[in-house]
Amino acid sequence: MDYDYLVKFLALGDSGVGKTSFLYQYTDGVFHSRFISTVGIDFREKRMIYQSKGINHRIHLQLWDTAGQERFRSLTTAFYRDAMGFLLLFDLTNEQSFLEIRNWIEQLRIHAYCEVPDIVLCGNKADMEERRVVSEWRAREFAEQNKLPYLETSAATGQNVNRAVETLVDRVMSRIETAVDRAMLPGRRGRPKDPNELNLSTPTSQNCFC
Amino acid sequence: MALNPQYDAIGKSFVQQYYMLFDDPIQRPSLVNMYNVEHSFMTFEGKQLQGSAKIMEKFESLRFQNISRQITVVDSQPMFDGGVLINVFGRLQVDTDPPHDYNQVFVLKPLNGSFFVQHDIFRLNIHNTA
Repeated sequence: MDYDYLVKFLALGDSGVGKTSFLYQYTDGVFHSRFISTVGIDFREKRMIYQSKGINHRIHLQLWDTAGQERFRSLTTAFYRDAMGFLLLFDLTNEQSFLEIRNWIEQLRIHAYCEVPDIVLCGNKADMEERRVVSEWRAREFAEQNKLPYLETSAATGQNVNRAVETLVDRVMSRIETAVDRAMLPGRRGRPKDPNELNLSTPTSQNCFC
Repeated sequence: MALNPQYDAIGKSFVQQYYMLFDDPIQRPSLVNMYNVEHSFMTFEGKQLQGSAKIMEKFESLRFQNISRQITVVDSQPMFDGGVLINVFGRLQVDTDPPHDYNQVFVLKPLNGSFFVQHDIFRLNIHNTA
């Protein structure tokens, strides 16, 4: 095995907000893009190193992109399956794409592996300042209300594109590490103190490791 | 009313005309004439719409510049009220997106020597497993 973690992210948001360009920019235009028509998924892969507590972790990042089916509102549950983090994009020059973010969050809460998945909100096309219709404070206020990190990005110039992905990697990796650490501590997080002692308490509604 | 023996030709020519209008953004609004103000249903990706106004509203909300398509096959049947049931299997491409397979079903209802679209169901063929 030549990597330590396989991490799968989804890029979501209305059609035309720049999801594909964003992922293209992140991978420097060099990627294997594989389109699976039966599930309507286009995905790219990239290797990266994540440092934590002085240890280098080799990460194999899979970035899943829609193939335009969101124009028809036809994302299937297969698309959300196994995704660990979400890049949620809107277009700073398109009011409607910002208003739709609420619906996307709603969809995520239904389909993602848990009700509070890791999301990074990106206001894309920040280079087109003269056409901006969503102000930064408005986007920030929305992000704060929804407890999401917010970045203004540009797939054209590359502004904050790496930072957005790295922010998401940090969040997802710290969630994974927390879960691993806790699982190793006896008597924490529903793990019985004694392996022979059955844990009969009903699990909470959360089906994730958060 | 008797079965319409022309069902196959009607199905094919309807499909050709319908998509010619749909795929041209300038002519798309004239699709309103294909539907009845009240007695038309459309199910677009699971969302049910009734009446020509709601259906046109849905078409207008679709965001793309260009759409092109290839029809793989059109299967039709005559209906016992003189109408025609049509099933279209094809592939469409929108702007620079990869092509998607789709399926669309129409029921043409006879009215005063012509037809209107009484039922219309559209789905992209996307599955839950690869």
